[in-house]
Amino acid sequence: MLVELFALLKREYLRWVRAPMWIVAGLMTPILYLLLFGQAFNLGALVGSSPQGEAALRAALWGAPDYFSYFAVGMVGLVAVTSALFAGTGVIFDKQLGIMQRTIATPVRRSTIFSSILLFRGFLVVLPIFIVLGLALAFAHVPGLVGMTVTQNVGALGVGAVILAVFILAIAFTSLFLAFGFLFSRVESYFGVVNLLNLPLLFTSNALYPVGTEPGWLQNITAYNPISLAVDVMRETFFGSSYYPHPVYVYLLGLLAWAVGLVALALFLAARALRTK
Amino acid sequence: MNSARPPGEAVIQVEDLGKTYGGKLEAVKGVSFEVAPGEIFGFLGPNGAGKTTTVSMLTTLLTPTRGRAMVAGLDVATQAAQVRREIGLVFQDSTADGELTGRENLILAGGLFGMTPAECRAPIEMLLARMDLADAGDRRVKGYSGGMKRRLELAVAMVHTPKILFLDEPTIGLDPQGRAGFWRYIQELRREQQVTIFMTTHYLDEVENLCDRIAIIDHGRIIATGTNDALKEKVGGDVVELRTPGAARDLTETLRGVPGVREVRREGDLYQVKCSRAEGLVSALVMACDGAGVTPEGITVKRPSIDRVFLELTGKAYREEGYDDGRAAQASAFGARARGGR
Repeated sequence: MLVELFALLKREYLRWVRAPMWIVAGLMTPILYLLLFGQAFNLGALVGSSPQGEAALRAALWGAPDYFSYFAVGMVGLVAVTSALFAGTGVIFDKQLGIMQRTIATPVRRSTIFSSILLFRGFLVVLPIFIVLGLALAFAHVPGLVGMTVTQNVGALGVGAVILAVFILAIAFTSLFLAFGFLFSRVESYFGVVNLLNLPLLFTSNALYPVGTEPGWLQNITAYNPISLAVDVMRETFFGSSYYPHPVYVYLLGLLAWAVGLVALALFLAARALRTK
Repeated sequence: MNSARPPGEAVIQVEDLGKTYGGKLEAVKGVSFEVAPGEIFGFLGPNGAGKTTTVSMLTTLLTPTRGRAMVAGLDVATQAAQVRREIGLVFQDSTADGELTGRENLILAGGLFGMTPAECRAPIEMLLARMDLADAGDRRVKGYSGGMKRRLELAVAMVHTPKILFLDEPTIGLDPQGRAGFWRYIQELRREQQVTIFMTTHYLDEVENLCDRIAIIDHGRIIATGTNDALKEKVGGDVVELRTPGAARDLTETLRGVPGVREVRREGDLYQVKCSRAEGLVSALVMACDGAGVTPEGITVKRPSIDRVFLELTGKAYREEGYDDGRAAQASAFGARARGGR
């Protein structure tokens, strides 16, 4: 079973490394956000640098010392959505090119086919997330750039929680978009639905802006958004638990529930697409 | 159909196999046939006749809605996973990954059958050499010509040394030269690997030149099964044409008297003599003419073609392209979903 899994992963990997423009293009969006938008849109300057101002800002930004630090963590959510968005296209192309049919006609287990796709596509989501987080932290040491400031002493447990949140978020969104990949047989239909989903997912999250000023109904939705849950895990770890109503593990569990549900949905639609008729 | 049963133990046994899509469209209406080990069995029919649906059921890609099919002694409906181990498939369209090299595609194919890259190295090198792809093995498949892609498909289907090779319209889109070349590769594979080959085609010359036995399918039903010769025999066998310019006598009765002759038709100085086989009869016909004092000039033997078989059995002429295209789209269940679907 491992031989089959590795064979399928190797194919995905070879296709990926042979499309270098795709890799660069995928990383450009988040990097531009950090490098241009994040640098320009620094709300901290509005409130000045008085001690009261800083305290008010931290309260408004859920513990983050400045908007860039707040936003850089939120970028994880944006990157997760924008890179997972392409997960389903591979499935559609494989169906169109007959490669899926060839694979189904072999003794490979359907679960192995699904696992290989989820693993590789999940990796393509995790990778840019860590690059973005690493860059945001590195910016702090580059003269002329605003970087991300971590105010807490993050221990091994904290690092573990952040990594776990990134992985679960990646699996959840990869599954979501894979589900549509298995459901649709045309890229046009796929992107139609995916684009419809994309913005509400981001805008009902706390990724880009502090949610304290939102109307109550929207805050309720935002609290359960998977992006918010992952971001809350990270922000609470980086900026201090006193700003958050729940401990980190509560957000992690909420995120896990999303992931379980979305993996189940993807599995169901994959089984439907891969079975014989 | 007296020759539906081949000699020896069959590797494919099909009984009353049928498929109805969505409870309405009956693409295959109960077909029965057997294929012997080492045979090249051709499934001939116009587009939309039910060829791809049949081959999809035999290769476990579609579930039959009636009847039963045993492939390599395994039931396609209940032992699908084991069946897949014993068979190799060449689809109508190329299924190799264009971004990968030929060799990488072959390693992937072996991997899907549980073979490590080391385990499939030997068969892969052998197949690349056999298919004349050794030099192109490390080039990406998207740069291959149509013929090279077809040969690679053959190699991909053979990496795990299957017992039975299924080819679904394997030469579609190739020019006549490319097709003839592809037949040679198939015959070589059969000879060296002792693999049984089941192929569908809508090309008449393909079954005439390549297949040991054929089944003709139309509108989801098999209308004839047998060797080329047996089928031709069925519709009247050979025709010997004798031309006797300037002969005064009518030779019709004389020719009818020759043993083996079934029917004689005269048009002016041209006699058409129908018989089961022309071999051995030509000299007897010439002698009969001599005996009547006429020396025939110009003797031609006409073999019936499979298209005449088709015409006689269905009452309509066989057309290779554009026949009933509406149902052709339905024939490939998976393909229809992938290309046309939502």
